This record gives sequence, structure tokens and C-alpha cells, in this order.
Amino acid sequence: MYQYFYDLTGSVIISTLITAVFPLVNVLLVALIGVYLERKVSAWMQDRVGPNRTGPFGLFQTIADFLKMLQKEDATATDIDKKLYNIAPVLVFAGSFAVYAVIPFSSKLIGSEIEVGLFYALAVSSFVVAGILMAGWSSNNKYSLLGAMRSAAQIVSYEIPTALVVLAMVMFLGTLSLSKISEMQTAYFWNWNILGGAEFGLSKFLLIPFMLVGFIIIFISTLAEVNRTPFDIPEAESELVAGYFTEYCGMKWAMFMLSEYGNMFAVSAIVSILFFGGYQSPFGYLGNTLGINWLIPYEQAFWFILKGWFFIFVQMWLRWTLPRLRVDQLMTVCWKYLIPYAFVNLIIIGIITLL
Amino acid sequence: MNYYDILFYLFAIITLVSAGFVVTTRNVIYSAFFLLFTFFGVAGIYVLLAADFLAVVQIMVYVGGILILLLFGVMLTNKITNVDIRTGTSNLLPASIAIGLLMGALVSAMIYTGWKVQPASEIPDTSIKNLGALLITDYLLIFELLGILLLIALIGAASIARRDKE
Amino acid sequence: MKEYLKNTWLGIYTILVGMKITFKHLFTPAVTIQYPEVKLKLPERERNRLYVNIDDCIGCDQCARACPVSCITVDTVKSVPGEDLGTTSNGKKKALWVTNFTIDFAKCCYCQLCVFPCPTECIYMTDVFEFATYERKDLVYQFSNLSPEEAEQKKINFANFQAEKEKQKAAAAAVPKPENPSQPSTN
Ligand code: SF4
Ligand code: SF4
Repeated sequence: MYQYFYDLTGSVIISTLITAVFPLVNVLLVALIGVYLERKVSAWMQDRVGPNRTGPFGLFQTIADFLKMLQKEDATATDIDKKLYNIAPVLVFAGSFAVYAVIPFSSKLIGSEIEVGLFYALAVSSFVVAGILMAGWSSNNKYSLLGAMRSAAQIVSYEIPTALVVLAMVMFLGTLSLSKISEMQTAYFWNWNILGGAEFGLSKFLLIPFMLVGFIIIFISTLAEVNRTPFDIPEAESELVAGYFTEYCGMKWAMFMLSEYGNMFAVSAIVSILFFGGYQSPFGYLGNTLGINWLIPYEQAFWFILKGWFFIFVQMWLRWTLPRLRVDQLMTVCWKYLIPYAFVNLIIIGIITLL
Repeated sequence: MNYYDILFYLFAIITLVSAGFVVTTRNVIYSAFFLLFTFFGVAGIYVLLAADFLAVVQIMVYVGGILILLLFGVMLTNKITNVDIRTGTSNLLPASIAIGLLMGALVSAMIYTGWKVQPASEIPDTSIKNLGALLITDYLLIFELLGILLLIALIGAASIARRDKE
Repeated sequence: MKEYLKNTWLGIYTILVGMKITFKHLFTPAVTIQYPEVKLKLPERERNRLYVNIDDCIGCDQCARACPVSCITVDTVKSVPGEDLGTTSNGKKKALWVTNFTIDFAKCCYCQLCVFPCPTECIYMTDVFEFATYERKDLVYQFSNLSPEEAEQKKINFANFQAEKEKQKAAAAAVPKPENPSQPSTN
């Protein structure tokens, strides 16, 4: 991305700034639109109307909320651990924001094209866990602590099926770089990994069902990793008030919210890169047809963001469909179902790849 | 001083200062959280040494696994059971002698090893390929042994945890 | 093993069924009634804000006595002869000036108990239910149509009349006695 903007503007400072600010703007936009969409989707699914007072169709509702949040008094309980309490939201947000450094929005809009991108994306989310634990512990509140514990246990457990599916995909693709993975599934939708990858042959057709299984596993487990319903036991409103951020208010609370939506988009992006061609358009590019080369990156960004939003929508859809899981059910799903299936899937994909 | 140096010193300072706090803070929770920054700093230094895979593994394993486990342990025992776990000092003399010896060994190893020095332009973009190849060829035995060791540890832990049920 | 596979299938299948249902609801029109713009028809015997048709009120204080939370205050002053207060719509002759008739809707529990005892049926429930205010004191409604000055005047009139009568009485008894000014009565 740096190189692209450097070529475009010819200034080091501007291109650096754009490179750095672009993901941040994206996260903010995702949160802004995400909150609105969540309200609307939940309303529509429950045959309600949703926000419709602030601006046309209630479009400015989140902005109004954001302004309200900024003005709020920063009330803190007396017996909290001040230092950790203040660091925790930053750490959580940093953890979820760091993922954006490697997400390829298009062939040109990538923060950093590192080779270990996929692995990196999995790894930095562990800062989120640490931040959550920190928030829960420093709040000095049993609900917060319980929420943090649950959250950490959940994320650590569900990292295993995620990692196993990622491992299978890495075996199949032979690279960890997110941009290379996207590049491998070029142009048309039948080249996407969910349909067996770009290589045409017997293995392509053999792979399709297992790719589907892999997709389902990774979707479920990433859903759990971002603490979304039906896996929202860390912040289960009916049991734990709000879980690990019970004691937070105002902007600090907003940072947790921001990181939640940031995470949602990040995992959607990773799922779409792994299985749905990342930034590749399903129907070829208008830019190629018309011979306008500069259009292609923007088209790619459009498709990428569209895919990301589609998966966010699916997450919301699931949220308003399913009730929350119990803790033991949560662990059963992970350890007794997802992990064995992921292992079997790993082996089978490995064998098919070798064929 | 270029960017590289600035970054190096930044990460070095983060690592050293937080490591110092890990040792000196009396509150175990604080120690654990400072460990987070230590790991982060070390990972940063790995990145500067072009060991990208190692850096990510550092974060994944140490922050995502070990630190979380540690925090879990501390949090479950501290406060909830009304035992305030704090660090203290005992056996100061033997400990410092042992540490001194260990440090001497490490420092001498550091000085006398013939480090492979490469100009930055020759360092490959990624270390994954070489690492993978080495693990499957030269270091296969160690790799497999470690795997078995981990498996044994896993089974052992599970059996210990389940014992009282039977 | 069979059980296990069945569970897996059941899990996925039921989730898909649920998702289908919610997806359908995505396109069902909302059942929400957009309240301030669209209002539901109120039921026939709804109980909302009270209204007092002060022209018909005879100041009998029945409503105030019936009220379980004492939120009605009725102050009256007797009329002096010669003043014509008119009649109520059902033909009762009015004899009292209602100088003060307040209902504190912050206290009112809308039990409607005050409505039944009224002999002239001048206190009744309306269909106004949106009367939130910023100040609690704005919820105290004054129904008397006499301005404070007029009310004061009526009191003085009555006091004068009373004093006059006293004087006449005293004169009739032929015992001249120094008269002390009587206090204005407040019923
Ligand atoms: S409705 Fe009930 S509470 Fe209200 S004024 Fe009448 S009697 Fe009193
Ligand atoms: S009961 Fe009716 S007539 Fe009597 S004071 Fe109340 S409102 Fe007036």
C-alpha cells in the first residue's frame, strides 16, 4: 500500500500517513456502520423498525451515540486497579487493530505484505485475550472476572479448531501470506478455495466437501473467538451484566465496542480470504474488460469489503437466530465436535493435496 | 541512527524495563502483565532480526498460550481464595551465585559463538521455508522427540486431572 | 459414532432451519406502530387526565373527599345574596364560588374514584395521556376560572357580608359591642 500511494502522491509522509490511517478509518467505519446495521438487522428479524429517528432511516444514530459517548463522565469505581483498568481497553483495541496490518483489501491496499500474515493474524489476537483478562481482573468485580475467565477459556479453546483449519489450508496452499492466498484464487469464483482452489483436476472436485467442512468449522470457531452470540457467554447480559467490561463507561467502553466490531470484520476478512477468494472479484474485472488498469485495485477493494460485510451480516443473522450456549455446551462443541472434525479434515485435505 | 536503530532501542527498552518490573514487582498479577510486554519486546527484536516466523510464534505461544495460562492460574488462586500471592526473596546468596554462573555461561556463549553475519540485503524475505526444511531434515529427531514429550505431558496432565473421579 | 454423526447433522440442520426462519422475518413488514405519528385507538373506558368543567362544579368537595391520594384541592367561598352564580347544566343552583380547584397529576393514580360521586358529573376522564412536563409543579392543574384577585375579592365580599350580618345581629340585640374584624374564612 505504501508503494502504491508513494507512486501516486510521490510523498513519503502522505503515503505513510495513508497507510497508517487507512485501517483505522476502516475500523471506525466498520464500527459505525456495524452498530447501525446490527440494530437494523435485529429489528428487521424481529419485525421491528429499528432506529429511525436520527436522520433519514436513523442513519445518524451511531454518530449521535458516539457523540454522547464522548461527552460521558468517566466514572470509575473506587476499588479498581487503576493502572491495569486504564491499559486494558487500549490493549484490547490494539490487539484487534493490529490484525488490520496484514489484511489485503486489494492487491494494492495492504498494510504489510509479510509472509507469515495468516499466522500473524491468529497470533496478535492473543493480545485481546490478555486485555480481556486484564479488564476483568482490574475491575475488581466478580462478574467482570467471571466474564474474563470465560472469555479467555473460550478464545483459547476455539483457537485450536481455527488453527487446525488454517493448517489444512496452509498445507493445501503452501503459503502463509494472505496476499498470495488471495492471488492464488484469481478472477472467477470457481477458482475460490471453497470450490477446490484454482487447480483444475480430480482433486478439485474431491476437495469441495472438505473445504465446506473446513469453512463451517472456521466460521464457527472464529465466531466464538470474537465473542459473538451464540458464543457470547463472556458478556452474557442475563448472567454477568456485561462480562469483562461491566465497570467501564464512556470512551473506554466504546473502545471495547470498537474492538468487537473491528474483530468481526477481521475474522470475516480472514474467512473470506481463506475460502472465498479474498479481494478477487467473482466475475472478472471491469477494469480488464475496459482496459482501465487503475480501476482494478478499487474494484478489488469493493469486492473485499462486500465479502467482509456479507460475513458480518451472517454473524448478525446467527446472532438473532440462536440462543446463547451454556458453558459446558460451548466446550462440548469445541472439544468434542469441532476439533475431531478439524483433525479428520486436516488429514483428508492433506491426502488429497498429495494425490 | 536510522529507523532500524530507533526501533531496536525501543524494543530493547520495552523488553528490559518490563523484564525488570517482572522481577521486582511484588504483585504477581503485575508481574504476569509485565511479562506480556517483555514477550512483545522480544518478538519485536525477532522481527528486526528478520526472523518473522519466530516472532509470530513468540507471540502466539508465549502471549496466547503460556501467559494466558499463567494469568488464569494466578487469577483463580489469588483473591478468589483470599490468598494474596506475592513474591518474596529467600536464599539470596545461593540464588545470586547460581544466576551469576548462568549469566556468565550465557554471556560467554554469546561472545564466543561464531555468529553468522549477513548483510541485510542477503537475508531472505521469510524464514519459514528454511525453518520447515531444517525441521524435517537435520533436526527431525529432536522435533519428533519434542512432539512425543509434549504428547506425554498432555496425557499426563489429563490423567492427573481426572484421577479423583475414578 | 452413529449418535455422534446424528448430533452433528442435527446441530447443523436445526441451525439452518432457524436461519431460514429469521431470514424470512427479515422481509416481513414491521409490526411496530410509530407512536407519536400513529396512535392506537384508546379503549372505551380509558382513564387518563381528568378534566373539570368548572362551569358545572358546585364546589361540593365530594371529589376531593373521595380521592384516595388527596390530590384534589377544592377551596370555596359562599356567595353573598344578590350574586347570581347561575345554574349547572343539570339544573342545580350554584351557591359557592370555587376559588381554587387544583388536581395534582403527579399524585393522581387515575383510579377514577373522584368521578362517580360528583353530583353534576362535571369531573371526568379525558383521552389526553401525553402531558409529561419538565417540572413537577407543572403537573398541578388549576381548574378554577377565577383569577387570584377575583378570588380574593369574593373572600372580602363574603367577609364584609358576614361582618354586616354580625353588625345587624348586634344591632338587633341592641347590645352595642365593639366589632373586631373577622378573618376571611377559607371555607
Ligand atoms: S382519579 Fe383517583 S387519584 Fe386521581 S384525582 Fe380522581 S380520585 Fe384522586
Ligand atoms: S364533586 Fe363535582 S361538583 Fe363537587 S366539587 Fe368535585 S367537581 Fe365540583
